[in-house]
Amino acid sequence: MAKQSSMKRNRAIGNFFSYVVLVLISLIWLFPFVGVLLNSFRSYDPAVEYGGMVDYLIPKHFSLDNYKFILSGQTNYLKWYGNTVLIAICVAVLQTIIILCVSYALSRMRFKGRTFLMRFWLILGMFPGFLTMICLYFLLKQIGLTQAGAIPGLILVSVASSGMGYYVCKGYFDTIPKALDEAARIDGASRARVFLTMIIPMSKPIIIYTALVAFMAPWCDYIFASYIAFGHDSSYNVAVALYRWMNTGDYQGYFTRFCAGGVLVAIPVTVLFMLLQRYYVEGVTGGAVKG
Amino acid sequence: MKKKLVAVLMTAAMAVSLAACGNAGTTDNTTDNTTGTTDTQTTSEETPAVPAEEVSENAPSGEVVGDTTVKVWVADAVVDFTKEQITAFQADHPEFAGFDFLVEAVGEGDAAGNMITDVTAGADIYGFAQDQLARLVAAGALEEVAPENIDALSTQNDSGAVAAAKVGNTFYAYPMTSDNGYFLYYDKSVISDPSTLEGIVADCEAAGKSIYMDLTGWYQTAFFFGTGCTMTYDSDDSGNFTAANVDYDSDKGLVALKEMIELASSSAFQPGSSAGDAVNYAAIIDGTWDAATVKAFLGDNYACAKLPTFTGSDGNTYQMSGFGGFKLLGVKPQTDADKLAVCDALALYLTSEDVQLARYNAVGWGPSNLNAQNSDAVKSDEALSALGQQLAFTIPQGQYPGDYWTRAEALAGDVQASFQTASDDDLKAALATFQADLESYAK
Amino acid sequence: MAKEQSRKAKKNPIGEFFKDLGADIADIGTTFAKGGFRTRVSYLIMGFGQIFRGQVLRGFMYLFVEAAIICYLIFFGWDYLKKFTTLGTVETGKVGRVTVYGDNSFLILLFGILTIMAIVALIFMWRLNIRDNKKQDELLRAGKKLPGNKADWLSLFDSNFDKTLLALPVVGIFVFTVLPIVFMICVAFTNYDATHQAPSKLFTWVGFENFKNLFSFASTGFGGTFVQVLIWTIVWAFFATFIDYFLGIAVAMLINRKGVKFKKVWRTILVMTIAVPQFVSLLYVSKLFDSNGLINGTLLRLGWIKTAIPFWTNPILAKVMIIVINIWIGIPYLMLIATGLLMNIPEDLYESARIDGASPWQMFKSITLPYMFFVTGPFLLTQFTGNLNNFNVIYLLTGGAPKSGSMVGGAGKTDLLVTWLYKMTINDTNYKMAAVIGIMVFIVTAVISLVVYQMLPSVRDEEGFQ
Repeated sequence: MAKQSSMKRNRAIGNFFSYVVLVLISLIWLFPFVGVLLNSFRSYDPAVEYGGMVDYLIPKHFSLDNYKFILSGQTNYLKWYGNTVLIAICVAVLQTIIILCVSYALSRMRFKGRTFLMRFWLILGMFPGFLTMICLYFLLKQIGLTQAGAIPGLILVSVASSGMGYYVCKGYFDTIPKALDEAARIDGASRARVFLTMIIPMSKPIIIYTALVAFMAPWCDYIFASYIAFGHDSSYNVAVALYRWMNTGDYQGYFTRFCAGGVLVAIPVTVLFMLLQRYYVEGVTGGAVKG
Repeated sequence: MKKKLVAVLMTAAMAVSLAACGNAGTTDNTTDNTTGTTDTQTTSEETPAVPAEEVSENAPSGEVVGDTTVKVWVADAVVDFTKEQITAFQADHPEFAGFDFLVEAVGEGDAAGNMITDVTAGADIYGFAQDQLARLVAAGALEEVAPENIDALSTQNDSGAVAAAKVGNTFYAYPMTSDNGYFLYYDKSVISDPSTLEGIVADCEAAGKSIYMDLTGWYQTAFFFGTGCTMTYDSDDSGNFTAANVDYDSDKGLVALKEMIELASSSAFQPGSSAGDAVNYAAIIDGTWDAATVKAFLGDNYACAKLPTFTGSDGNTYQMSGFGGFKLLGVKPQTDADKLAVCDALALYLTSEDVQLARYNAVGWGPSNLNAQNSDAVKSDEALSALGQQLAFTIPQGQYPGDYWTRAEALAGDVQASFQTASDDDLKAALATFQADLESYAK
Repeated sequence: MAKEQSRKAKKNPIGEFFKDLGADIADIGTTFAKGGFRTRVSYLIMGFGQIFRGQVLRGFMYLFVEAAIICYLIFFGWDYLKKFTTLGTVETGKVGRVTVYGDNSFLILLFGILTIMAIVALIFMWRLNIRDNKKQDELLRAGKKLPGNKADWLSLFDSNFDKTLLALPVVGIFVFTVLPIVFMICVAFTNYDATHQAPSKLFTWVGFENFKNLFSFASTGFGGTFVQVLIWTIVWAFFATFIDYFLGIAVAMLINRKGVKFKKVWRTILVMTIAVPQFVSLLYVSKLFDSNGLINGTLLRLGWIKTAIPFWTNPILAKVMIIVINIWIGIPYLMLIATGLLMNIPEDLYESARIDGASPWQMFKSITLPYMFFVTGPFLLTQFTGNLNNFNVIYLLTGGAPKSGSMVGGAGKTDLLVTWLYKMTINDTNYKMAAVIGIMVFIVTAVISLVVYQMLPSVRDEEGFQ
């Protein structure tokens, strides 16, 4: 009896410390986001409050100036935002289709050169991507997909090389028993039929995971996208434009506007992510186990 | 079910028709599109897609063959201003009616970078800071100034700006501003005497405020040139550096370096030169482009002055020097004579006395044109007059290899880190390597 | 050809390759000798045999591919390919003040490679075409019927479904991944840099000149800097991977503890770092720790420190900071993964350990950790190689700073090979050295992966899982 109560007490103390640590961790983890959010409510108008960098956290006056500025059409922010949404949706859809196709072929079919293909792609993935940027730029320019055509160009490049990211999805397909395929095939279904009517409906989690990952990437692409847009303002995506606000001397005192822009970028991605978090966890865990 | 099958078949048909191209199909698209397509045509095809940004909608007439869009890259702040000026330019020059003008916001740094990456897709006319000139010439991104304009440009602009627009003896760009130098902004309520560096630092430390100064390549010359060091490069007409004249590896150089180290050791010191990123400062070494930001921050205590003097480790007093810099407008090499004529005329127009003055009034950029400089409005500008005073002590910035800026930034890194505890001998050795490296960039 | 060879690559890859190649050429010869006239004509006009044996669909596909590639070669590719050995000789000149562009070395190199790839593809298709003819010949000779066009077509959705599925992705990867990488490797053997910029200037082949420069340890040589950057890259990848790994498991176990409530809330908070784009969060964090940032400002105001802590200017401190901030990014992933995996460990293992009187630490050491290592081995490896090339964290936090005169090529003390490579490409347009560094990055990644992969306990035959 005494032992049990001491264990209980131990557990209570343990829980208490667990909570302390967890609260601390949460504070550290949330701090930057709170910082960005608070900064976004500081005005850039010197009449209200100084808008550059400051060494305090909570703004002296809360204002929506930054959001008004961003959404007012003084800049192309809405256009950039639209571009990013368009890229993200197209890439999410097309990339998912391609990855599903590749994964099914590699998981279910045994053909000549299959291992070669997988090894070859693995090796390709080890080359750093930046140097290929200039080459891709000139390739795209040759077919008119830079500057004004940068948006389709970006979609094309992200989709074209997406086949190499099949690991997680193939790993998932591998876990679906092959006996199911065999049974359907004995009943006379073709491979395509099996793929479309059996495997795909069974793969909802992995489809969502793949699409989610693909959807999130374009929001962060500030290097290649700026290379392809090549100074053509209206084909920037938000990341390029916002990054320019921080890094180009012409945009002094844009820090608070950068924060506001960042908040607006973070909202859809975060909301989507939170909604689909379950699938993301499933995908990431599955991917980690399969390697 | 049937519908489904049809849909599947359709997708499959698409996939197969693409598969038919097989591994080779990769090249098919390019074949159709590229044979006979020159780069100039690509640019002209793109323009219709962005009519919103065009300054004028003059339909290209049949008279002018080839590319009829003149693309202009300027900093975001002057995009609207430039558009207005181009409209005026078009009114003045009906003979160029066949040309469209497209103004895009590309900052000076990005413009140079983009031009170097791909000249053919870059702007026809673009603004840039003069330190990029040699790089741009070497990359073939600048056309020489039309011979008939050279005389006028040389006499109407200040001599520093003229020198800055030349590589060797060749005139490569149109001087646009003479304000690309730095001086001191300070807080009147904190700093009692802005004439000595020691005084400023002491005031800042006492008030718990910061003094911002960048120690990278462009700013560190304030110390080196101040103690009497020299560093120039000779270049030939095509932008190759032929010789370096550097004497940093000397007692003067050591005094300058030690002064930098001393400044960096102050608790008030912050590295940096952009007012928008600066926090809680009472003094900042910055240029006119940040005047508005500094004014907003310091409010009524806003004041400007030439750079201060400092007392070196040898007991002598030195006036801080530095670069006097300029912004230029460049025309890229053209494959069409008519278009070149338009570009020349527009570049000349955008850097003329009237436009420079108008630009000063619109966005506060200090003119390089002598008449514009002498106008009352410009003379009464606080920041520009401080810059004017400082100008007497600066060296007009010539041409420097890109490697210089990279290497000097590295020195700035050392000043704030390992040099803080280094002995005189170490510093001498470091200066010797620095000089050797700088000399190695000229071949 | 090459594909067949890779299967048997275990023993003596080169010997096997030539053996296969020999067999292949012999097979081409015997097919020609034995084949009928349809087969023989197919050697010149691809698909001829198939069309006249009734397999119109298949035949026209071969014919179309042949026609397309040959058209490409004649109208486009050849112009570039013939200059490939010199990368162009016609200099850009002037007529009056008008510029006349000469050869564009860049495009010659790029499209030269594309043309070579097209030729290889043509040879490959040609070989397939011959094999196809042979097969058909054999079938006919054995008195069997050839499948009709319809069956042929339907096979693309059944037995040949792999070809349908993979055609597009493979082509895409060849054009947009393989071609650029081959191009980059070629650039490492040229003098393409700031003073040799197409289209105004020509560049040309220089052999191993750039590699010599990389391993030159003279004052302006890249050797010393390369070694420094390489060492930091590996040190960084090691710490970034393993610290995150252990802390991630620890946090997951903490949240999974019996009695801790609101598990979902804690997880969601951590996961925010994955959802919010890094260029927003990391840029803010970088400003936070600036010498004039919020942290230093607050500490100074509170009087806890006299001078600002040089988070980003002191090389050692900057390196530590990067690793610490990376924990902030890394833990959430590991936490998610570990949470899923920890639940898979059979509870009775712990139960029996507890009865034996094992302490929590002992249980962690001898049950949890071995299990995690076993299951996540390959994942750890990919994490490690990913961290070797972790661009965002370094670039957004320090941009490689602080710089030092003891390093060349604009490298800073916290630069990884990739960020250094990026700077060389963008700031200095030193493409030739960037290409060399790129190849080095590949070699480092490949060697580490290969060595570690062989050592992993969980590496099993892939088929075994299914």
